[in-house]
Amino acid sequence: MHPFRYAEPESVAEACRFLKRQGTSAMPIAGGTDLLSEIKDGVAKPESVLNLKRLPSLAHIREQDGALRIGGMTTLSQLQVYPVLRRNFRIIEEALSTLATPQIRAVGTVAGNLCQRPRCLYYRHPLFLCAKKGGTTCFALDGDSRYHAILQNDLCPMVHPSDLAPAFIALEAQVLLAGPEEKRLLPLEEFFLLPGQNLSRETVLKPGEILVEVRVPKPKAGTRGTYLKFRERGAGDFALVSAACSGRVLRGTVAELRLVLGGVAPIPFRARQAEEMLMGQRPKKEFFAAAAQAVLAAATPLSGNRYKIEAARTLMVRAMQAVLK
Amino acid sequence: MKIKKRWKVFFLINGKRRSLTIEPHWTLLEVLRDQLGLTGTKKGCDRAECGSCTVLLEREPVYSCQVLAVQARGQRITTIEGLTRNGKLHPVQQSFIDHDGVQCGFCTPGFVLTASAFLDRTRRPTPDQVKQALSGNICRCNAYVKIIESVLSASKRGKRIRD
Amino acid sequence: MREEVAEAALDLIQVEYEILPAFFDPMQAMKPDAFSIHPGGNIAGGKPIVLERGSVEEGFAQAERTFEGTYTTQVHCAAGMEPRVALAQWDGDFLTVWKSSRGIHMLDRPALARGLGIPAQQVRVICPAMGGGFGSKDETRMGTLTALLARKCGKPVRMEYTRQEEFVAGRTRHPSITHLKVGIGRNGEITAIHARTIMSKGAYMSSGSAVIRRCGQGALYLYQTPNAKFEGTLVYTNVPPAGSYRALGAPQGQFALEVHMDKIAEALGLNPLEFRRRHHVKPEGQPGRRLTPPGELVSDQPVEGGIPFSSNRLSECVRLGSRAMGWQRRWRPPNSSPGPKKRGLGMALGLYRGGLAQKAGAEVEARLDGSVEIRVGTIDVGEGAFTTLLQIGAEALEIEPARVTILGGDTATTPEAPVTSGSSTTFSMGTAVQQAAATLKERILDRVCAQLGADRENVKWNKGAIQMNRPTKKTVAWKQALALLSPEERRVRLAIQPGSTEFVINSFAAHFAEVEVDTETGKVAVVKYVAAHDSGRIVNPAAAQNQVEGGVMQMLGYALTEELLVDPKTGIPLNGNFLEHKVPVIVDLPPLKTIFVNAPDPAGPFGAKALGEPPSIPVAPAISNAIYNAIGIRFQDLPITPGKILDQLPLKGRG
Repeated sequence: MHPFRYAEPESVAEACRFLKRQGTSAMPIAGGTDLLSEIKDGVAKPESVLNLKRLPSLAHIREQDGALRIGGMTTLSQLQVYPVLRRNFRIIEEALSTLATPQIRAVGTVAGNLCQRPRCLYYRHPLFLCAKKGGTTCFALDGDSRYHAILQNDLCPMVHPSDLAPAFIALEAQVLLAGPEEKRLLPLEEFFLLPGQNLSRETVLKPGEILVEVRVPKPKAGTRGTYLKFRERGAGDFALVSAACSGRVLRGTVAELRLVLGGVAPIPFRARQAEEMLMGQRPKKEFFAAAAQAVLAAATPLSGNRYKIEAARTLMVRAMQAVLK
Repeated sequence: MKIKKRWKVFFLINGKRRSLTIEPHWTLLEVLRDQLGLTGTKKGCDRAECGSCTVLLEREPVYSCQVLAVQARGQRITTIEGLTRNGKLHPVQQSFIDHDGVQCGFCTPGFVLTASAFLDRTRRPTPDQVKQALSGNICRCNAYVKIIESVLSASKRGKRIRD
Repeated sequence: MREEVAEAALDLIQVEYEILPAFFDPMQAMKPDAFSIHPGGNIAGGKPIVLERGSVEEGFAQAERTFEGTYTTQVHCAAGMEPRVALAQWDGDFLTVWKSSRGIHMLDRPALARGLGIPAQQVRVICPAMGGGFGSKDETRMGTLTALLARKCGKPVRMEYTRQEEFVAGRTRHPSITHLKVGIGRNGEITAIHARTIMSKGAYMSSGSAVIRRCGQGALYLYQTPNAKFEGTLVYTNVPPAGSYRALGAPQGQFALEVHMDKIAEALGLNPLEFRRRHHVKPEGQPGRRLTPPGELVSDQPVEGGIPFSSNRLSECVRLGSRAMGWQRRWRPPNSSPGPKKRGLGMALGLYRGGLAQKAGAEVEARLDGSVEIRVGTIDVGEGAFTTLLQIGAEALEIEPARVTILGGDTATTPEAPVTSGSSTTFSMGTAVQQAAATLKERILDRVCAQLGADRENVKWNKGAIQMNRPTKKTVAWKQALALLSPEERRVRLAIQPGSTEFVINSFAAHFAEVEVDTETGKVAVVKYVAAHDSGRIVNPAAAQNQVEGGVMQMLGYALTEELLVDPKTGIPLNGNFLEHKVPVIVDLPPLKTIFVNAPDPAGPFGAKALGEPPSIPVAPAISNAIYNAIGIRFQDLPITPGKILDQLPLKGRG
């Protein structure tokens, strides 16, 4: 592996200042499973690496008024065994159980999962200097596109690889970002950027900013949730398509619904059209199918990924069936 | 905050304190194999995908190929060499032998360590729990049937696997 | 020196390339006017291999109906857990190389001697325990490269593939295109089978001719017919080089054949099981005339008819396997199950060479301390060959296996042995070990009898001890007996030529799969799998089960998920890693039942026949046939991914 220097900050503030000062030559590391792959594959070439994982202030899980506050450096396995998860945050538990492998969950962190880089075969390949890496071409658009996006895919058809992100967004999670000067809190949904907004990065993180906490509000009584993941291998695989759904039926009609897809777009894709169509409706399978159809009408599949439309339709319908009853 | 190219560190490896100077970009796997001669830990992919390099870090299985050694400094590490106590095989090791949970044997140290950590936490696992626990280890000989038998049998030895 | 320094140095080498035309598709590469990758054109050997029994032309003339179909398979990587590696060290003019290997005596040692221009006596090759071979670790170049570098720098040199290199520059399973034509006569008999296969070889030759030859054997021999023909064309292309990998070309050829036969069965209104029962090759072999002169060894991959099998329990495999699957009771016509998740049953047969007739040597030595050492020049590629050979030696000597050790994988200390190929180690090496051990036992008996003045009829061998009944009752203990022999007498080294002059020696299998296809996602779940095998007598049941279970599981990946993806524009392999090549993991394991007919073959050591490769052959067609049975759609192109299934299904969202 290409050599780099290494530092362990004493505090978040120190980490932020250092990262801001060093610019892109410094990179934060947490569990390391994603960053080290990128370094070994020559995709990332940091001069220095800053270990955030030893910051004790970032590895907490707390409940506050029923809401969950998860430190960015909480490992996925710590989160997985957190008792209250099964009771109130079923989607998160289901997403975690499908995510990576036990060894990765043991070191991988919540912030690392949300900030991981895309798995596009061309982006990760040292021999392709793709547009995202500063080149001029996207090789996937007319190359092998079986794992790529069917929505919002005109510029760079990468898909966002996180399982946690759709689950959190379906629960209206917020993220707390700490920078050298200030902290800011924003909905996780607004944390991700489309390639049209920034081709080389996937998040709104500014130089020197790090994701320090995820806040998940407590779902209202009667809310159900599920995370469905469709993949080729039974474990240790990224989603071809995934669907996170959270919703509530009150007096026979849909009172609340959030539906978020993974594996279909460069960001976790919020299926707002479906949500709007179903609000106030009786939860019936025909309506679910129509709502899914409306979402997928916008799909622009590439030569190798048409199948994802049908798979996404199925997952949306099944997720809504599981939740809205 | 120090930004250094060399780090003087120690690890608690298989119960012994080992001190050495390392460079930050060395993985835990490289340090175990190349610096400490613990070659029972195998490099199968170097990308956190196959599990041959699994060791226990604070008793949890991790891919040592994708953990920076410097990040693990001061921590307890168990490698396959540390499972055998006073020349007596660990029950999981013995069970893999008894049930032929091995073909070429390259993935075996990783499987044995993952299984031993799992059995420390789970007394009477179901076959499905065993599969989930071992889902991060690949055996390309695909000796999975006998690996599952080995782990289930070890779990039935009725006593706690490790002290 | 640390690896990263070597890597940084490699980065400093500037390579100038001349850009030449490149082919990623064999159909393009084999066009007559295509740019030649090597002098002499892109068809390896200049022309296809053609093998024929009878005349398919006449056979088709007699046919009432003919059935044609085209089948394709993907690039598939063996991906043993240990990447290939070599370490070379010179001591003056003497070279020692430690490396991953398939044959230290017959492959690496001569290649190193030839490549370096030194006598073979100055080359020692050692292959210690190896992390999974699957037949793919057969190239000798790493040994030569490290030896040259070590000579240049005067230090030992080690070379190790990265995982990506292992996928890309290791040897892959040849992708294939097979066209099949089968003629069916008035009474439902098979009048002719004609198979034509094109394989993309990559730019370098490595086991290619054997691979394509083996691809044709199913078409030539699995079904009873007087007329069969195979044409195999091996084409140079610019994709990663293909080579030998578990069962060579047999999985490709028999995938095509067994899906095709399934289609014919349905067209004839027969249950797939019944069609196969009627038509698969029987113990008497193929019709026709023996062409091999009397007294000569019969090929275990024959084209001619008129030669019976040494043993053929394929009918038993079909009977036992179908019973375990509950086929008769549970089989339904295609696309019968209601709802979005549909179940189906599928089956496929397989045949493979059962005892490659390779000359094999072994040495067995008993020491005065009572221990026995077996020395074999073969290697253990990870399948457990040494355990099995040790068992055979102990059994032939009728002593406790605990007294026996085995030494192998070193040219300096072992007699010459063949390449580990064709699932032949138990058969060839096992025979050599068995005979060497038996010879030693006879010597000991002879010597003890001479010493005691006893007749051979009056002594009994009891776990190494010799019991004399007449003239007096007496027991000579094992160690005492050994002390009567000179050191030379206690060591037996011999070489044997296994095989048969009378029979075709083949192994057989019948596999049965039950799948559940989710028609709304295209996901296939294998819910039950039964593998029934005739590999003669099973020497080591646990290891044998491991071979079958492992072979099935490896090829479930071949059937459903695994493929080395190559960028269509540049030819660059995209997914040289376990994750994106979609190597199955433990949670993908279906309930799997292994059945051995376990009937001894008269030719093999203790009745054994080949086993290592056969389990990999019927898997993909059994799965494809089961998917057809579930949803009524044929898949003739591997792997059968969810994407391909969804693309074929009538979709809800399409107009």
